[in-house]
Order: sequence, then C-alpha cells, then structure tokens
Amino acid sequence: MKRLLQTTALAMLVATPALAQEITVGAANVAPYLDPGRDHSNVGSQFYYNAFDVLIDRDYNKREVEWLPALATEWTLLEPTVMELKLREDVVFHNGDPMTADDVVFSLNRMYQATFPPYQVRARDRLGNFDRAEKVDDYTIRIHAKREEPLWETLINLQQGMIIPAAYTMALSGDPDVAEDSDFEAFSLAPVGTGPYKIAEFVPNERIVYERFGEFWGEAAPLERATVRRIPETASRITALRTGEIDLATNIAPDQLSLIEAEPTMKAVGSATALFHVMIMNQNHEVMKDARIRQALSMAIDRDALNEALWLGKAVVPASHTMEEFGELYMPELETFEYNPERAKELLAEAGYNGEEIVYDSQSTYYTNGLLAAQAIMEMWANVGVNGRVNVIEEWTGGSPAMMVRSWSNPMYFADPFGSFGVMWAPNGPSESEGRFNTDAEYAEIWERFRFSTDIEARKQAYAELMERIKADAPFLPLYRPYESWAMRTDLEWAPKPGHIPYVLDFRAGSIEFASN
Amino acid sequence: MLKYMTRAGLKIAITFLAIVTLAFAATRLSGDPINYIAGQGLTQADRDLLVTYYGLDRSILEQYLAFMGSFFDGEFGLSFVERRPVSVVIAERIWPSLQLLLASTALTLALAIPLGIVAAVWRKSWVGSAVMTLAFLFYAVPNFVLAVFMILVFSYWLNWLPVVGNGTWAHFLMPTIAMSGLLIAGLTRFTRNAMLDVLGQDFIRTARAKGLAETEVILRHGLRNASITILSVIGLQVASLAAAGSVVVESIFAWPGIGELLVRSAIQRDYPVLQFGVIAVSIAVLIINAVVDLAYTWADPRIRLGEA
Repeated sequence: MKRLLQTTALAMLVATPALAQEITVGAANVAPYLDPGRDHSNVGSQFYYNAFDVLIDRDYNKREVEWLPALATEWTLLEPTVMELKLREDVVFHNGDPMTADDVVFSLNRMYQATFPPYQVRARDRLGNFDRAEKVDDYTIRIHAKREEPLWETLINLQQGMIIPAAYTMALSGDPDVAEDSDFEAFSLAPVGTGPYKIAEFVPNERIVYERFGEFWGEAAPLERATVRRIPETASRITALRTGEIDLATNIAPDQLSLIEAEPTMKAVGSATALFHVMIMNQNHEVMKDARIRQALSMAIDRDALNEALWLGKAVVPASHTMEEFGELYMPELETFEYNPERAKELLAEAGYNGEEIVYDSQSTYYTNGLLAAQAIMEMWANVGVNGRVNVIEEWTGGSPAMMVRSWSNPMYFADPFGSFGVMWAPNGPSESEGRFNTDAEYAEIWERFRFSTDIEARKQAYAELMERIKADAPFLPLYRPYESWAMRTDLEWAPKPGHIPYVLDFRAGSIEFASN
Repeated sequence: MLKYMTRAGLKIAITFLAIVTLAFAATRLSGDPINYIAGQGLTQADRDLLVTYYGLDRSILEQYLAFMGSFFDGEFGLSFVERRPVSVVIAERIWPSLQLLLASTALTLALAIPLGIVAAVWRKSWVGSAVMTLAFLFYAVPNFVLAVFMILVFSYWLNWLPVVGNGTWAHFLMPTIAMSGLLIAGLTRFTRNAMLDVLGQDFIRTARAKGLAETEVILRHGLRNASITILSVIGLQVASLAAAGSVVVESIFAWPGIGELLVRSAIQRDYPVLQFGVIAVSIAVLIINAVVDLAYTWADPRIRLGEA
C-alpha cells in the first residue's frame, strides 16, 4: 500500500503543472476542426484568438470600440466602396513563411469569393457586401465593397477575417497552385496563423496544445505552453482543478459556484455572455398565427423570476434585443419585451384562444438551465390560461412547420446589432427561410436603412423601427444573457474580456498571469 | 476443427453483414447531421449547399454502396465533423478502450472467482455472508455512482488519485474499479451458485470418499465443472462491457475511448464515425464470443466445436 501511495503521489506530481509558464485548461468541449473562416460555433470561438490575427484588431479590455492596428498598420477609405490597407512588414507565419499581400488577399477572397461550401455559408450572412480583395503591392491591399459599407472595421475584425498562409494552404493537397476544397479540409486539421501561439498539437475533439511562437510580431506570449483538453463532465473538471491536474476550467454552471467559492485553492470568474437564450415562436403555425397569441405567450413570462431562480440573478434580462457591446447602437431605452400577465390574459381572450395545446420544444442539456426554464415557463403560461407542454427533443425543429415554440440562442457574432439580431432575423435570413418568420416590403425597407445607413442616428432610428415590428409580430422573446463562469487556481489571473465575442480563451500578453509571479 | 472454423467464419461473415447494414440504416434514421456540422439557423439554400457537399443528397442505395466501398479503401470514409479518415479517429481510441476492458476483465476474474468459491465453501459462516452482502451492495450500485463516489473520496477529499485522462497507471485505478464493480458483484454471485450446484453432486462425494484433499476437490472437480456456467456469464458480461459499459465511465474520467466517441458521434450525427464505431464494438463482441466458445472446449472436453 505504501508503494502504491508513493507511486500515486509521484503520478500526481507529474500531473501537476509546477511551472508557472505552462497551464492546462479543462474544457467542456474541444473543437472538432480549427479554421476561423469556416467556424462560428461557441466551442470553436474559444480557440482562434491565440493563434490567429486579424487585419484590424480592437482593445478587448473595454466594451467601447477602439480599433487597433494588427496585421494592417493603417487603413484609408479611398472611395465609399474601396478601402486600402497597409500591411505590417515583419509578420511571419508559424510555418516560417513571411506574410505578404498575397496571403491577405488569399485569406479574404477565400471568404468574399468563396467556392468552398462551408465558407460560402459562413460568408453569406455577414460578408455578403464584400466583392473582393486585391493586391496593390507586396504590403498594400484594397478591399472592394459592393455598396457603401458602414461597418468596415467591424467586418474586417471578424473571426472570419483572420489571415492564413496562401502557399502553405494550397500545397496541402492536390495542385499546390490551386485552392481546392481538400486544401481547406486539410487546413482545418493543421492550422497555421500568425498569432503569439502556434498550434503545436491538435487532436480533434480532444486536445489543443499551444506553444509560444518566438517570431510573433507583437508582444510575446506570456505562456510557454497552454494545453486545452476535453473533460466533458463538470464534476470531473472541478475535481481536476482541485487535484491540480488542470489550472482553468470552462463552462461552470451557476449551481457549482458556491462549491468553488468555498475552496481556498479555487476561484471563479464570470460574465453575462454576449448571447441571448431565446424562445422562438412559429408565426405560420395554425394555432400560433394570430400575433396576439404570440404576444401573450411572451408577456406571460416573468424573466426576472427565471433569472433569480436559475441564475442567482446573475443573468441579464433585456428590455429589447440590445447589448452594451453594440456601442453607439446599444439602445436600452427600447421597450420591446415586457412581463404583463394581465395583458396576456386579455390578448388570449381577444384572439379567441381555446386552450389548444402549445408545445415548447427544448433540448435536455444543450443550453444551461434550458429545460428548467422551459418547465418554469409552462407554469407561467398556465397562470394566464395557456395549455403548454414541454417536448424534450434533441433534434433541431426550427425548420419544421409543426414547430410551435422552441428554445434557441442568438449569439453576438460581432459587436453590432447586425452581428446578433441581424444574422438571424434578416429578410430572407435563416428564420424566414425556415418558414417560421415572415417579413414584407416595409420590413425590408427598414432593414436596408438599418444595415447600410452610414449615419449612426439613421441606423438607430431604423433599429428602433425594427424592434417595433418585432414587438408587434412577436416571433421571439430573448429570455436573458446567460451567466457563464470559468473556475481556476486562486493564483491565476484570467477573466473573459468585455470586448471579445463570447467564450474566447484569450491567453495573449496582458490577458493572463500568475499572481505569485 | 477445420469444419468448425469454416462454419464459424461463415457465421461471423453473415452476422457482420447484418451488423454493417443495421449500423448503416440505424444511423441514417437518427437525424440530420447538417445542424451539427454547420450550426443551427441556416437558410434553405445554404442547407442544400452543405447537403450536397457532404454527399447527403445521394440516394440511400448510393450512400450504402459508398459505405460498403469504404471498407476497401482502408480509411472507412471521412468523419463529417472532424474531417479525418474514420480509421484514424477510431484507431486513436481503440487502445485506451481495450486497456480499460482488459484491466477490468482481469480485475473481475481475479476477485470474483475466488470470492465466489469462498462464498460457496463457507456459505454457512459469516465469511460467506459478508461476501454475499458486499456483492449484493455492489450489484445495486450503478457504475457512474461508484465513479463519482470514488472521485469525491480519492480525488476531491484525499487528493490521492488523478481524475482525468489515461497517462499513468494511477489513472487506471478508479475507471477500472468503476467499470468492474458491478461485474465483480455479479460474477461472484454466479460463481457461488454454480459452485453450490456442483458441490452437491454425487461425483464430489465420490472424490471426497476416495480421499482427495479438499482443495483439490473444490478446484479440480468443483471449479472445473462449474466453469461452463461461469464462462458463459463472463462472456456475456465482458461483451456488455465492450458494447456499452464504458460509455459513462469514459465520459466521467475523460478517458479517450470508443464508448465516449460513440456517444459523441451519435449526438453530432457523425454517421461515418458512428457506423464504424458500432462495427468495431460488434467485432469486439464477436471476438469475445469466439474466445468463450474456445474456452468451453478446455472446460469440458466433451464439447467438440462444430458438432453443435
């Protein structure tokens, strides 16, 4: 037994990262592939910023937008539809290739003029206004937009705008001078960028090992090595943190926070994620097509009570589809969604609701507290006389004509209402295309002003009008911004930064340090 | 023996074809992989684009033929989600799973058979009762409860054992015990009952009467004759372990094995991985059955393979 204990102790010693410059992260999920252009998942978004750069970066320490030079050192609008960018000249990719205009044009055009279907899909909803990028000289490029673009920097700053090496990628398969689909498939398993960490090892769905990249153009990475490993069970992640097997754990549910706070060796940080859990309602379902019914279903829900009960009051309940991250377009004054059970009863009576069953589709565990929220909502509906039933289903039913109500989420893909509300609720966008949301000429006209006005006030006005339409049509209700937590060793200083999109694990200089150092 | 081998081979081939077809059909019925590959909220046009790209617009027959064809290219197709050859994805995980399976089987045999014998021989003393009480207790505890309980005690409180991964032998202790707890309990009970049956037989009395030592009576005459029953149970138990027993344990201990892979690919509708994962597990079960069949001939020389 003594020997057993000794060996075990030895094993523990080996498993404990004693060197302060190395950390191990226990993540609920590790990405199945790594390609910033193709990906927009919550899982994938965690991993790109350490290894890839965009042309124009921003100060992520604050919510207010401040653009910073990154791979581009300066940018000028030559014409309303043409932007010229000067590129940094000392940038080297992780494979040793120097970065030039060819790489930048290749990276941007793989999205703007996508031929690879996963890129086409990703580019269409957010980069549709960009026609092409062209090389002027080795360190100057121009981006051509189809129409005057109010969101130049925002859309260049996207994860989909991260720069990858052209020659390396094209040589991954087939003809080394041609970008084939198989090149992009291969890239997603052997990703190369220009960021402060190179990806030294990647086992899909299992492990990512970052190593400090010595030739990074900016401030050197604070960690020699960071290993992210998948630990699907929350209890195992927390225990592994306590045993010292990992230093940082992602996706800690709110009910675990008291446990962590009670331990002197662990602490938790969190924030209300820039993402709404939403309840969507099918405008075209026979029982649901009267807008008053949908308004009533929405008004019956006491979202503050859900927040208190499920999120310890740490989630954020919005009055409209708006977030502080939207900067000048943050409009807390809008009152699009309210709790008013009395009015809900009246609306149901006016609409002639006769107790028809209303089915709420919810996945069992996909959204933290999702099923509990659905069950609580059934009680709230019952209080106004709605006959609701939760249907636990893992399938996506958002495209089914039989879907009545279901849980969903609207992440902020980039810091603008276009990057959150806009991606999902555009005319002919996913929600309309799936047949549960209707728009008309008037909506499209307001949308045009919201998307393309170069005047901030005009965009705000148009967004307010869109929210009036959403209030009247009630196609969805944002429940709250969920509170997402990370747990870590007490001497580790890390926190999600307010300027990032949700879930980014930022280990760059100034973003992570050890208190004991 | 040759006749047996031919027949067994044919039986395996037919079983295999049935499994392969079933794996193909069942995964196809399980839902739409596009939602998991590209996220929810796609326009119909984009959805169609991806359906074509991933070859899901082909007829079921074409997909079936492509699937059968993928046996011969050595890659078994490409994972929808990871974009790697399925052979690579599965190969990465077979060894960790096999290690856990072997460790659990070894632990089960090493503990359950002696305990079962002890419980049978000393059935009237407190020793027998104690063994059976423990066996009953462990038989009632699901493996995930045992796993979480051990994590709480040995990792969270005592900090003796690592929780996640498979790096050192210390990593094996808790997963192995969690996997085999139920099996040890079950097999102990079966061994005891089988031994009790045999020990009541006439030939045991004869063996004692002719003056054999009690140990020899129990082990040579008792255990050998009880072993047919015990072997069948072991076969079933190990097969069930290979098929499903590891799923929860692998998830809890972040053990990079096949069980965890199967669950994840089922959730993600990663058909290519899922169907070959099912096939890999089926092959394991077939192998286990074949080994048990062979072991029967050792246990009872009267059994001649191929004459059934």
